[in-house]
Amino acid sequence: MPLRLLTLSCCAVTLLGLPKHAPAGADATSLPAAANGTVAYERDIKPLFERNCLKCHGPEKHKGGLRLDRKADALAGGDSGRAFEPGKSAESLLVAYVAGLDPDQVMPPQGKRLSREEVGQIRAWIDQGASWPETSSAEANLNAAQTHWAFRPPVRHEAPVVNHRSWVRSPIDAFIAARLERERIEPSPEADRATLIRRLSLDLRGLPPTPEEVERFGNDAGPNAYERVVDAFLASPHYGERWGRHWLDLARYADSDGYEKDSPRPFAWRYREWVIDALNRDLPFDQFTAEQLAGDLLPEASLAQKTATGFHRNTLTNKEGGVDQEEYRVAAVVDRVNTTGTVWLGLTVGCAQCHSHKYDPISQREYYNLFAFFNTGQEVDLPTPLDGDHETFERAQKTHDTERLRRERLLAAAMVGRPLQETPGAFSRAVLTAHVNVLAHERKAPVFAPSKVQTLAEAPKSRKTYIHIRGDFLRKGDEVQPGTLAVLPPLDSADASRTRLDLAQWLTRPEHPLTARVAANRVWKQLFGRGLVATVDDFGTKGEPPSHPELLDWLALAFQELGWSQKALTRLIVTSGTYRQASASRPELADRDPNNVWLARQNRLRLEGEVIRDSSLAASGLLVPRIGGPSVRPPQPAGISELTYAGAARWVESQGPDRHRRGLYTWFQRTSPYPMLMTFDSPDSNVCAVKRERSNTPLQALTLLNDPVFFECAQALGHRILRESSAEFDARLQRGFHLCLARTFTADEHRVMVRLHERLVRQCESQPAEAVRLAGVSHADVAAWVVLARTMLNLDEFITRE
Amino acid sequence: MDPLREYAHQSRRDFLTSTASGIGLAALAAMFREQGLLASEAANPLAPRAPHFAPRAKRCICIYLEGAPSQIDLFDPKPKLRELDGQPLPESMTKNVRFAFLQKETARLMGSPRTFTPRGQCGMELSDFLPYLGECADDIALLRSMHTDSFNHHPGQLMMNTGVPNFGRPSMGAWLTYGLGSESSDLPGYVVLNSGRGTSGGASNWSSGFLPTTYQGVLFRNQGEPVLNLNLPPGLSPEMQRETIEALSRLNAQRHQRVGDPEINSRIASYELAFRMQAAAPELIDLAGETRETRAMYGVDRENDSAGGRGGASDVFHSFATNCLLARRLVERGVRFVNLYHASWDHHSNLDKELAFNCRMADQPVAALLKDLKQRGLLDTTLVIWASEFGRTPLGENRPGYKVVNGRDHHPFAFTLWMAGGGVKGGQVIGKTDELGWNVVEDPIHVNDFHATILHLFGFEHTRLTYRFQGRDFRLTDVGGKVVDKLLA
Repeated sequence: MPLRLLTLSCCAVTLLGLPKHAPAGADATSLPAAANGTVAYERDIKPLFERNCLKCHGPEKHKGGLRLDRKADALAGGDSGRAFEPGKSAESLLVAYVAGLDPDQVMPPQGKRLSREEVGQIRAWIDQGASWPETSSAEANLNAAQTHWAFRPPVRHEAPVVNHRSWVRSPIDAFIAARLERERIEPSPEADRATLIRRLSLDLRGLPPTPEEVERFGNDAGPNAYERVVDAFLASPHYGERWGRHWLDLARYADSDGYEKDSPRPFAWRYREWVIDALNRDLPFDQFTAEQLAGDLLPEASLAQKTATGFHRNTLTNKEGGVDQEEYRVAAVVDRVNTTGTVWLGLTVGCAQCHSHKYDPISQREYYNLFAFFNTGQEVDLPTPLDGDHETFERAQKTHDTERLRRERLLAAAMVGRPLQETPGAFSRAVLTAHVNVLAHERKAPVFAPSKVQTLAEAPKSRKTYIHIRGDFLRKGDEVQPGTLAVLPPLDSADASRTRLDLAQWLTRPEHPLTARVAANRVWKQLFGRGLVATVDDFGTKGEPPSHPELLDWLALAFQELGWSQKALTRLIVTSGTYRQASASRPELADRDPNNVWLARQNRLRLEGEVIRDSSLAASGLLVPRIGGPSVRPPQPAGISELTYAGAARWVESQGPDRHRRGLYTWFQRTSPYPMLMTFDSPDSNVCAVKRERSNTPLQALTLLNDPVFFECAQALGHRILRESSAEFDARLQRGFHLCLARTFTADEHRVMVRLHERLVRQCESQPAEAVRLAGVSHADVAAWVVLARTMLNLDEFITRE
Repeated sequence: MDPLREYAHQSRRDFLTSTASGIGLAALAAMFREQGLLASEAANPLAPRAPHFAPRAKRCICIYLEGAPSQIDLFDPKPKLRELDGQPLPESMTKNVRFAFLQKETARLMGSPRTFTPRGQCGMELSDFLPYLGECADDIALLRSMHTDSFNHHPGQLMMNTGVPNFGRPSMGAWLTYGLGSESSDLPGYVVLNSGRGTSGGASNWSSGFLPTTYQGVLFRNQGEPVLNLNLPPGLSPEMQRETIEALSRLNAQRHQRVGDPEINSRIASYELAFRMQAAAPELIDLAGETRETRAMYGVDRENDSAGGRGGASDVFHSFATNCLLARRLVERGVRFVNLYHASWDHHSNLDKELAFNCRMADQPVAALLKDLKQRGLLDTTLVIWASEFGRTPLGENRPGYKVVNGRDHHPFAFTLWMAGGGVKGGQVIGKTDELGWNVVEDPIHVNDFHATILHLFGFEHTRLTYRFQGRDFRLTDVGGKVVDKLLA
């Protein structure tokens, strides 16, 4: 009813006094009614103006003399007079135009018109006094931006006092419980031990727990049994693999150049090795940062530190014929700036490459200030022989020597057999051939080709940096010096002498508001599937505000107080009651909190492609758990690498143990990535990826069901179950469930599996030849178990962290 | 009922009732639906959706000639260029222009030896390299005024497929599948076919970028196994597969009852679609049901007629024609977007001979596709596109080390593409280049405009088909795009 009343009263106004600007013939009664409720400029009107008006009446153009981005100008109006007067929407020229009262005077003149609701909002805003917060020069914008939560340093908040005292294990839980109590929601109970250890094992090592680990934990009645598991998993060298892979997503790691030629990078793995190792020795995040951004500039930089700087060597290289070298050098520097902005600042810095950022306080000049840090670097490959290199060389040398000896003997034999009557100097054909053979062989002598480390170094000749007008590197604007963003704490060193090292150290200064929050948020996201700031890559004004701002600040400060220890931060989170909750859905919360923002439960998360591969290999006993080393090429379907130009992409399958290595060691060819990984949403590694999709497609089903790699796992698991348990069906099923799901089967599951087993046995008995192909032996029961094993490896639960 | 829908409906019904495996699963699905265990239609990211306004096109076949065919020798006759053959280009035209390989100081204009004749009622002039396509002239809108931002292959391909010359954006097919969903329940919504060597852009050309991967192009192969991992493992019978899927559905449904995660229902649906695809995809590539006339029209049984140079992959005549026919079969079965790739049009040298070979390979099947769609009443609602990343220079390529000049370099400033069907006004030439074919002089069409027009044909206002990523609403047309009104029927 109130709405109707309002409509009537508005009509009354329009009838009483037609707007004096309203053109003849305009039907003023068709003016949409003012919206109901309070309208706020920032929330409702500004975006509307931005969307529809500012292209012509904004900072760049002031058509008709009107500007709608600044309060004073907007109130002053344009060439045709005042656009609006607070309190009098029905008389407003602006309203008349956007409502399209006169077909000859419609705004916007092209494109989408405003909806009646939008016009109603503008009317309500004008009628309510057209309140407009004071603004808005660039400086005022900056001031406004400084009030944005993410640009202010984290504040220490005391953990709130809550009613759920017994549930609270750490301050983390107090922050979560406070919110839940406000919403009158109970947290979920703790998950059972089997779920907990599987969750921890997958989260910290990327592998399922062994049945023995599950049993030990289940029987450990002592205090801190859970914490002991956490500590053991954090100490496992697989921790570095699991969390290293998360980092490699950010580092857009790959084993090839990208673009048309997509040449191999046979030494890229040296950087991966460094990441795994750095995480395993828990290199503090501030050093972790400095070494990757500027390891080469550290005093007396070690080889490891220079290897770390390979972080920014993972950019693409375009060796396509006819490219402008400078264009792609610049493209790599742009990627370095943007990636640094995403990984450490959590800002969409890249938006300012062509123009100042539309929403965040990042000017185009500041973009090129950041650009200048990276613009003076050059790509360097350091020859750094590894032990294996010498062995490989020596082996080649030995083979070469043997062959040379053989050919020399042949030559000698030919010489000896030479008939005496021949004139000296005139050699027989046989002698000549033998001689040529010796010489030809000499030319093929092996050359020592040491492994290399890809890193950056400052170019001997310094390069000046200019603003690129509209992002075009051919259009140079003002010269700029290295620098950071005005909205963030200042850098103290003098302009011209600033280096990447200054930038790296500035990022982890205690007063920096972003780095610790952004990094802690990412760790949180890996452990809950969603960040406290859901837009993990955008802490700017257009990103989502944190769901638990005090908790985020608390974590950011704790991270620094723990000496930037990533393991300690992870331990802090996984030992919380919040993390330990069950993940079952809460139907009563489906409407109120569909995305589980309040964390009244854990989340069920589909595993990443690499972890799905690793889990199948581990459950079946095929996994070769060797840590590190060059990339490997497990079997992949024929015809994949042929789809690209890169001749180098020919896939020569690895032999022996390298066929069963963890997924993160799979050779990543950018133009023809490993199909299984792509099917399960691995990033394409062309740009920094902060978040992986968790898609759910039929191609995934086909992969897990039919891909030879996964079928090999099914066969191995089937045989393993039979080998490792007694002959009763139930014992076998138990073993299978323990290996795959870390739990016992239910009665319902038992029924389904018994039925499936019976039917499979019957089929295998009627087709013995097929059974042999399935299981390698002529035994219907064995073949049936291969198919049962395959079923378990395809369960939704098997590829999910619960 | 739309003939196509009827067909798709029919074949799905046939499949469900005629295959031994269909009955069990259909019954199971019914059971799950009754128990509310199947994911709702609304939650299905591929469920068909309506665009912003009534569409003219409902599906798209994009034929992508990677490497960039010479518009000067195929689509845009330049008698003046022939007259000035061997002359340098005025410096004013090459100033500030970058080339991939060409040495502009010594480069000379190179006329085309091709004969152009008016074709169809409309009298559109086409090269003697395209005799078959000429028969379809009245259905084709030739865009002679295309221009793009990039002059290297991979960035140019990204531009043409995703609207910007950088990585990370969704391709046209991904945007359309995201906007419209899929009409097929047994096949993916977006299918990619390739003949010959691969493209330099590889999978980035059909990427879903930041869109969910559900919208990514699925690469089909035109022989053997059409989709990766479609074949059962050795020794595993279809019956065992059916039993397995059924058991999985039951076990997953039990888990769903315990933990209530709707993702589990999607997983059940994915496994069932996978199972249906195992039957539908082989049926798709089995051409036994096609008449001899159809096969002959496409030239499916042709063999390569010569070595062919860089384009001469073995059996490429057969493979390209097969893909054209498969494209029709795919859209008939409800697939939204079909991308057909053929690489090897990058004629820096030996242009006359190798372009002739490629045209003999492509001309007949592409024309057959247009005619076949038309005779089946599908052309009106099926947009067919001939695309490439840029064109080729009116200058002969004289890169250092080349003994003879008989090819052309990359040319982004003016080139020709065409569209047909799907609401396009055929029998017209849009845009004009100068006498030498160097610059556009009338109705310039930027790649973003090209995309805006395609989206328009599909019923989308291009500025409103957006996806929020990193705090910004992204679109296929980036920050540009103007619908080419002349193109619309």
